[in-house]
Amino acid sequence: MNKLDKTTIICRCEEISCEEVEEVISNGGRTFDDVKRITRCGMGPCQAKICTSMVAEIIHQQTGLSPSEIPLPRMRMPLSPIKLETLATNSTSFSAVKSVLDEVELEEGKVR
Amino acid sequence: MKTDVLIIGGGPAGLSAAIETASRGLDVTIVDEASQLGGQLNQQTQVLRPLPSVYEPMRGFELANKLIEQIKGFNVRLLLNHRVVGFYADGSAGITDEENVFPVKAKKIIVASGAAEKAVAFPKWTMPGIMTIGAAQTLINRDFVMPGKEAVIVGSSDFAMETAIQLMDVGIRVKAIIEKQSGALAKEQEKASELSKNGIPFYFNSFIKEARGNGQVEQIDIELPDEVITLSVDLVCMDGGRAPILDVFYQLGCSFGFQEELGGWVPQYNHTLQTGREDVYLAGNAAGISTQGPLLLTGMIAGISVSEELQAISPAEANEMREALWKELGLLEDKEVYSGRIKHLENFTSPLLKDQFIS
Repeated sequence: MNKLDKTTIICRCEEISCEEVEEVISNGGRTFDDVKRITRCGMGPCQAKICTSMVAEIIHQQTGLSPSEIPLPRMRMPLSPIKLETLATNSTSFSAVKSVLDEVELEEGKVR
Repeated sequence: MKTDVLIIGGGPAGLSAAIETASRGLDVTIVDEASQLGGQLNQQTQVLRPLPSVYEPMRGFELANKLIEQIKGFNVRLLLNHRVVGFYADGSAGITDEENVFPVKAKKIIVASGAAEKAVAFPKWTMPGIMTIGAAQTLINRDFVMPGKEAVIVGSSDFAMETAIQLMDVGIRVKAIIEKQSGALAKEQEKASELSKNGIPFYFNSFIKEARGNGQVEQIDIELPDEVITLSVDLVCMDGGRAPILDVFYQLGCSFGFQEELGGWVPQYNHTLQTGREDVYLAGNAAGISTQGPLLLTGMIAGISVSEELQAISPAEANEMREALWKELGLLEDKEVYSGRIKHLENFTSPLLKDQFIS
């Protein structure tokens, strides 16, 4: 990657700059999810599809961690933006609202 | 909905996997978010070679048509304009047609989700007129839209060189090729020399310092080793390489390894192209970035392995075919990529990332 100017946008959905990403790293952030939790980087419509590799590169440059030591971000359902109306389809065979909740395992109606 | 084989992705790898499975009588479903099968082949006007021995060299869109023609005679259900949004706890895929979400339960899943282009960041790279080389190629060859009049290309891979030539062919003036390394990365030297012969300068050890413009890119500053020059352009095509698209594998709870030659993080798989999850196979760029010939071969291998698992062919027959295809892959694929692939296979039992899918 080029020498990055502090103002260079890294996450264009949420307009997070290189400086903001670097600040998280200087405070101990070592993964994409660390950066995401503090700055909203990767939380826009593209769902981190564009900025993941750029953030990994900045972490690599700032900390010297090898790319294989920088884990992948958590990739959640839904994989790409979808209207809630669509997700809450009235399909009789299967409730799709439940599809999101499938990620959470329930035991006697309570989160395990 | 129930099916024997669910293939996610209808590009070259997905289609060749579909041919292998459907031709043996299996019930196959292909899901693709595009309105047309063929994936990236549809905008590739360059002649593709080398292709597997059963195909003569042809242009990308011609190959797409040929593959689509081949699956027509078989029992293949097409879910075009459909997306996979995730997976249910019972393993069925949640697929949407943008109005409803419905589950598809498959005995085996082949993921051929392809690759995504990586962007190159520099100040104001998000301005209109700045796009990846793949986006520029899609605009000129598929949408018949001129993305600009005067362009620079950032990067010098084979794909970047091909795109530069295609831009010139439609009358776009390519003003420079900017490469941060000290030489052109393209393996096919004739493409780079065709561009030099046309008087296009290659700036090595260089990068874009800044883009400027009012509402869209108008000027760029290029930092050369000893000076900064300014060019006026209305199109910047950047080539940051490609990386496998992994979100479906992540949702499925597959394991991952890291292999630089294959594009970075790649799902872990064995020689049958089975991932860390028994019922999930993979093919194409999702199994490591490569060229079109090898993509078809990996699709065929995955298709044969799934056919074997579903008892459509005998294990002996499958082994023999797989061996032959791996041998051809070794001949066809770039040596570095192939050796990266072999290294990757060896790590099957010790992936770097596994069980990462925690609620």
